[in-house]
Amino acid sequence: MQMQIFSRHMRKLTTGAAIALALLAAHPAFAVTPADTLVEGFAIDDIITMDPGEAFELSTAEVTSNTYDLLVRLDLNDTSKIVGDLAESWTVSDDGLTYTFKLKQGLKFASGNPITAEDVAFSFERAVKLDKSPAFILTQFGLTGDNVTEKAKAADESTFVFTVDKPYAPSFVLNCLTATVASVVDKKLVLEHVAPVTPSDEYKYDNDFGNGWLKTGYAGSGAFKMREWRANEVVVLERNDNYHGEKAPLARVIYRHMKESSGQRLALEAGDIDVARNLEPGDLDAISKSAELATTAAPKGTVYYISLNQKNPNLAKPEVVEAFKYLVDYDAIGSTLIKGIGEIHQTFLPKGVLGELDEKPYTFDVAKAKELLAKAGLADGFTVTMDTRNTQPVTGIAESFQQTLGQAGVKLEIIPGDGKQTLTKYRARTHDMYIGQWGQDYFDPNSNSETFTINPDNSDEGKNKTLAWRNAWDVPKELSDMSKAALLEKDSAKRADMYKSLQKAVLEKGPFVIIFQQTEVAGYSAKLKGFKLGPSFDTNYVGTVSK
Amino acid sequence: MSTAPSQSRREWLLSDRPQSRIQARLGRAYMTWLRFSSNRLAVLGLLIIIALVLIAIFADVLAPHDPVIGNLAGARLLPPGSPGYLLGTDDQGRDILSRLLHGSRLTLFVIVLVAIIAAPVGLLVGAVSGYVGGWVDAVLMRITDIFLAFPKLVLALAFVAALGPGIENAILAIAITSWPPYARIARAETLTVRNSDYIAAVRLMGASPFRIVLRHVMPMCMSSLIVRVTLDMAGIILTAAGLGFLGLGAQPPLPEWGAMIASGRRFILDQWWVATMPGIAILIVSLGFNLLGDGLRDALDPREAGQ
Repeated sequence: MQMQIFSRHMRKLTTGAAIALALLAAHPAFAVTPADTLVEGFAIDDIITMDPGEAFELSTAEVTSNTYDLLVRLDLNDTSKIVGDLAESWTVSDDGLTYTFKLKQGLKFASGNPITAEDVAFSFERAVKLDKSPAFILTQFGLTGDNVTEKAKAADESTFVFTVDKPYAPSFVLNCLTATVASVVDKKLVLEHVAPVTPSDEYKYDNDFGNGWLKTGYAGSGAFKMREWRANEVVVLERNDNYHGEKAPLARVIYRHMKESSGQRLALEAGDIDVARNLEPGDLDAISKSAELATTAAPKGTVYYISLNQKNPNLAKPEVVEAFKYLVDYDAIGSTLIKGIGEIHQTFLPKGVLGELDEKPYTFDVAKAKELLAKAGLADGFTVTMDTRNTQPVTGIAESFQQTLGQAGVKLEIIPGDGKQTLTKYRARTHDMYIGQWGQDYFDPNSNSETFTINPDNSDEGKNKTLAWRNAWDVPKELSDMSKAALLEKDSAKRADMYKSLQKAVLEKGPFVIIFQQTEVAGYSAKLKGFKLGPSFDTNYVGTVSK
Repeated sequence: MSTAPSQSRREWLLSDRPQSRIQARLGRAYMTWLRFSSNRLAVLGLLIIIALVLIAIFADVLAPHDPVIGNLAGARLLPPGSPGYLLGTDDQGRDILSRLLHGSRLTLFVIVLVAIIAAPVGLLVGAVSGYVGGWVDAVLMRITDIFLAFPKLVLALAFVAALGPGIENAILAIAITSWPPYARIARAETLTVRNSDYIAAVRLMGASPFRIVLRHVMPMCMSSLIVRVTLDMAGIILTAAGLGFLGLGAQPPLPEWGAMIASGRRFILDQWWVATMPGIAILIVSLGFNLLGDGLRDALDPREAGQ
């Protein structure tokens, strides 16, 4: 009995010691990531699928661009230009309808299969026929399930011919081809994994073009291979030794799902991760002060704006629209709420895009705003609501705007909700005001120009649900016409000028108070070399990083 | 006053032969107060609550700054003790002290309204159920059971989600979820008195069941109900703060304490005071109500005091 009690105590003691040891071993100071592996803390809960023909999410854009190749890519030194990736060269026919791409010779997929024009044609075909969210980037050139095999076809082993329906600006077409939906997949490999589908009215084809398999599978040729994706947990990339460009110095890249900024910061400080990707201003500030850590930033093509629904009789008055543009405390917001994660920006084209215009005519001016409100017959102010998604920095900006509007006598009621609630209301045009962000669908000025300046049918039944439509803004015809003409302008310089004058017009009259352009930030261990963020979410390349 | 000049006021109150009804009642109240005030912690609780009420009344005078308009550019996230900002400022550059002072109004508003809505409902349901008995009792108590079956906060969350966020709806949701325990207590008290002689006497004199419940049963339930409501107030504050924290209670820019903690959570690593100060306020006020409730139970309900 004595012995038993003793041994029980002993067991407790040893367990205690073991736990203490385990805790010691887990002490942050000992945590270090492997020398050949890059570990990033990143909120990857938006990933739904890894199929480049279907994925249209920010995190997936990064993974796809690192694991697949495209015909052409953005020139990172000057993002208004294009460089070849798989394509060695390309020509545009005189009528502006036919694009002929010559592929580089002797390239191989990660699987070992050769890359041919057949693969490119198949990639276009499956993206168009699957018709998922990003397919419009290709179908806007007149591609349909019926004609895609004719319009996007392989002339021979290394020549791919792409025919568009109108003489678009070549810069527009090429910019669209840099989108991840145009990624080239390994036809042979994918065809081994297609699943049969019963054709229906919505989907006329008898197989899924490998969509089911590619959800978690991989058939690309990029700098890395996608080895594994476990939802809300991890994405593992492995070096592709068949890559045609410079081989990546690191053998592996691991994206660990981490949602909270503070959690990422603690893990980075402890050395559990090499890069923290979703930092808020406060945490970013603390990291930038540490000697062992560094930060980097890159402007992204997303603008945050407040829009005024023109169905509301008060908000429809041009003086009110102008007054509201004077009632945002741009300087204070820029130096506090979005410090490090955004830059004050008032035009609809983000910096870095062809035709960008860096003009900031509006400043915080209550007197001027009051004068304008008085001119509109609303000297005593009025009450208005704003639908606000309950995430930062949007709520912070909304609260600041609430205070500054109050100074001019306008009472703002914030209606909070999650992303789905606010967006549903916004898309149904039943809001007064909305604060949100607009990210470019593809890296071309038309993406934003179209949404801000085109609204062919302003009735509730309108089919083209652009931001102008959502806010019931009956866009002046000359603006819409100019936006459409810019799409067909062959001379890039002239095209840029057209977008500049469009931005000036929207800046002056549009019911959009554009506040800032998002800057993507990352904190990383100073041991990393060559870590950089690109100008868009699909140009955050990890192939150059070494330790 | 008809007191004999030879008696001191204390003796008059404590007289075991009261001359009038008023004297008897005042005497009883005085005894209760004596029992209550002998409990130092209970007096502390009472003082906290009195202070809360005074702060709520005079918030406009006491607050050094505007609670909703901040100085975003010049005074954001200042630490406590900064000149002009005793408890520091939050992420919109608003004075935390002023927000706490004004927030006390919201807290009181919530407590008072919940008590006004929930306590009478619970009392009525419990008293009727206990007095009438039979299938009425069964139906009312099963409904009470249904409400009791869910955790309070979860049920409140569901109601607010259905009604839409906002402080009025939060109050309604908390009231809806907090009446069942009062009904249970009132029913238990009613069961102990329903067969007593005085009830039989008033019934013989022809009093209607309505009058009996209202005038002769309910008053007997009051003391234990008051104790229970006071003890629950801390819970009500926490539930309201919890709803505010989840963004379902008071909406910006209202300085509701729970919502203040939620907005300060993002800065907890570097600017601890933004979330801590409202947390301390909630702690103090909840503690105050708990101490007061404990003291009240000892004073009002001598039967339970020794347990």
